[in-house]
Amino acid sequence: MNDKKKYLTEAIKPYTPLLAMEEASRCLLCHDAPCSKGCPAGTNPAKFIRSIRFKNIKGAAETIRKANILGGVCARICPYDKLCEEACSRTGIDKPIEIGRLQRFATDFEQAIGMKILEAPEATKEKVAVIGSGPAGLAAAANLALMGYKVTIFEEKSTPGGVLTYGIVPSRLPQNIVDQEIRYVKDLGVEFKLDCKVGKDITLDELKSEGYVAFVLSIGLQQPKLINIPGINLEGVTTAIDFLAAAKPNNGNIDVSQNVIVIGGGDVAMDCATTAKLLGANKVSIVYRRTYEEMPANKDEVRYVSELGVNIIYGFTPKEIIGDNGKVVKLKAVGFKDDSLLELKADKIIFAIGQIAENSKEIADLNISIDGKNLVLANEETCETNIENIFAAGDVVNEGKTVVEAVAAGKAAADSLNKYLTSLREVQSDDTEVVAEKKGVK
Amino acid sequence: MVKHKDLSIEFCGVKCENPFFLSSSPVGSNYDMCSKALETGWGGIVYKTIGVYIPDECSPRFDNTRKEATPFLGFKNMEQISDKPLEKNLEMMAKLKKDYPDKILIASIMGENEEEWKKLSKLVTEVGADIIECNFSCPQMTSSTMGSDVGQNPELVKKYTQSVCSATHLPVMAKMTPNIGNMEIPAIAAVKGGAASISAINTIKAITRIDFNHYTAMPVVNGKSSISGYSGKAVKPISLRFIAQMAQHPDLANIPLSGIGGIENWEDAAEFLMVGARNLQVTTAIMQYGYRIVEDMISGLSYFMQAKGFNSLDEMVGIALDNIIPAEEIDRDFKIIPKIDEDVCVGCGRCYISCYDGAHQAIEWDEDNRRPSITDDCVGCHLCMNVCPIEGCITPGEVKFKEGRDPHEVIVG
Repeated sequence: MNDKKKYLTEAIKPYTPLLAMEEASRCLLCHDAPCSKGCPAGTNPAKFIRSIRFKNIKGAAETIRKANILGGVCARICPYDKLCEEACSRTGIDKPIEIGRLQRFATDFEQAIGMKILEAPEATKEKVAVIGSGPAGLAAAANLALMGYKVTIFEEKSTPGGVLTYGIVPSRLPQNIVDQEIRYVKDLGVEFKLDCKVGKDITLDELKSEGYVAFVLSIGLQQPKLINIPGINLEGVTTAIDFLAAAKPNNGNIDVSQNVIVIGGGDVAMDCATTAKLLGANKVSIVYRRTYEEMPANKDEVRYVSELGVNIIYGFTPKEIIGDNGKVVKLKAVGFKDDSLLELKADKIIFAIGQIAENSKEIADLNISIDGKNLVLANEETCETNIENIFAAGDVVNEGKTVVEAVAAGKAAADSLNKYLTSLREVQSDDTEVVAEKKGVK
Repeated sequence: MVKHKDLSIEFCGVKCENPFFLSSSPVGSNYDMCSKALETGWGGIVYKTIGVYIPDECSPRFDNTRKEATPFLGFKNMEQISDKPLEKNLEMMAKLKKDYPDKILIASIMGENEEEWKKLSKLVTEVGADIIECNFSCPQMTSSTMGSDVGQNPELVKKYTQSVCSATHLPVMAKMTPNIGNMEIPAIAAVKGGAASISAINTIKAITRIDFNHYTAMPVVNGKSSISGYSGKAVKPISLRFIAQMAQHPDLANIPLSGIGGIENWEDAAEFLMVGARNLQVTTAIMQYGYRIVEDMISGLSYFMQAKGFNSLDEMVGIALDNIIPAEEIDRDFKIIPKIDEDVCVGCGRCYISCYDGAHQAIEWDEDNRRPSITDDCVGCHLCMNVCPIEGCITPGEVKFKEGRDPHEVIVG
């Protein structure tokens, strides 16, 4: 397989039915399965693995899909080792059940046979708007549609999916999986308004006047974080957001340079390194300031990039970028804990050290409470903000956790929004009764 | 250097270098196959049943059952006796005996009437077979004058055995069908007809699975299928039972038995020996894995003999028979309470589920610590031990005598 194809093809092979059965047979089928308590999105691995074991793959898909509209996405990118698999009882014998791969098997099966699991009731409830179509927004929208709301997602980009579409490397998450799950959301009656940035192309007040009565703010973290060092503005210095967002929608048809340095140690940094390496960079290095143990990236991903030939340098932080004729030629880095010096040749330097939020006051409401980092101050469990009809979910609240946590937050936001509008409806109907009584109708 | 045990054993007056034989089936269909098997270490072969009748086989003709991902729990076949011309088979048998004089050749035959049985008996005697096996038991013959329909009829078994014996000086072995309640009846009939030995079991009439597209059994032959013979690991317990019952029957005392049914490793082999078989025949495991499996049967059995101090297989044959007793003679004075090793336990709770749903609700579950504990309601059934996925986690513990019973020494398994 050539490298371009490798970039576009999922690195981890799918289970065949027999392999899935073999893995499901390793499951101890626990009485009080701890794996099922480990999922933020409330997926029940114990139940879907048992379904696979007893040859009910459709039932398995149903269990997953009902809990998680992005079940196929999460099957691929969840940090299982830190969630359900960490809790697996089988670990007491040898190694945990590969829950993620089994989930992928079931959701692939669902897709392959065109199974339709979720069906939304007729949308008889109010119009609600979801701002941002990343994982939190998609989950919120799907759950609201399932409750009977008329849901519209507003997305500034031309393709929905947020980080799923513009971020995560296809060898981990192929775009067709993202597209498929967005289709599930659409099939529930959710409308997508693309190329429409709320706060710029349309204001919240205009949305209100169009009849939208409540909002989910799930705009993620759009702005790259940079550090202020000499040379940061040189040509060839870029950010993970820009780099990945160019690569994935173009199916990898981009020009990567020969000597690429990625700064950072998270999954995004690994995705940048993978992308650069597979799309033709001659030499790719990751420079990370802390140690291997402290590196937040999934260890399987670290292993994967290492196997691709990416050189990972620990313990250094960028100090200066040297340029020639306005273009990057070299990175100077200094020891994070000592004064060691490092000089690396480079014609592209990608900063993957995190993202920051855009100002929600400009997007949603001048009065919404945000903190110094532009994060929306919301109750992490209920997603309530200081404004009663705005609920905030996902990275814009938690500063960037996992996709599955964004899904969980989106579900929670949908529940809270529903609770809010339900109580409003009850108050209104009480009022109507009072008025009616006064008029002597009753 | 490891010294291997002598696995030789005498069977029907014939000295065999080991008890491992191919059973009459596709695995011993021609000279090349048998030759390869003998070279690999098999002590002898029961050549695929020959007859005057030449079958017309179907395609496909096999199926297997699974549990979870494990294939070949059991195996179904629709093949009949050899489809090669009689002369060709006789030629190959003669060559085998000539090329492998120290290995044992058992000729399996099947006739449709007394004349055919006699003719076949005479022919295989002439080619130099050591023993003749009468196939009274193939359940998928397309003629009711042959196969298990014959084996279910003691008069026919006796009559045809007599025919065979009348045309040979060789020891004759009658192969029994398990598609019957009491195998002792046709076995005794065969002995009365002159059989020197009994082999069992042939395959069990079965339907392995239903095909959900064509609503028929498996394998699907142009949209249809038939009931036919089931073999392999799944049938071993049934075969062990038949062998033990025959070995324990006074009218069959001293009749050497050849055990067939689900043997694939030395443990299976030892089990058959212990319930009274002196010879062991294998097909299904060979079809799945090849002749090479005999290497570990020989080596494994030899190590087992060393470990247990057996000097010959004779010392093992039938050793379990005295300990397999009628249900009414079982000591029912006590219960053995299982004990759970909390350090080994991984907290899956399978014992708790099974004890509740399938036994006596005698395990309590500690939700906080995820550990089971056995209560006074335990009857000592040991279902928990059977379902526990952890080796050595649940083991037999305290022996408690039922009220009013005299405490005595109890052997704990």
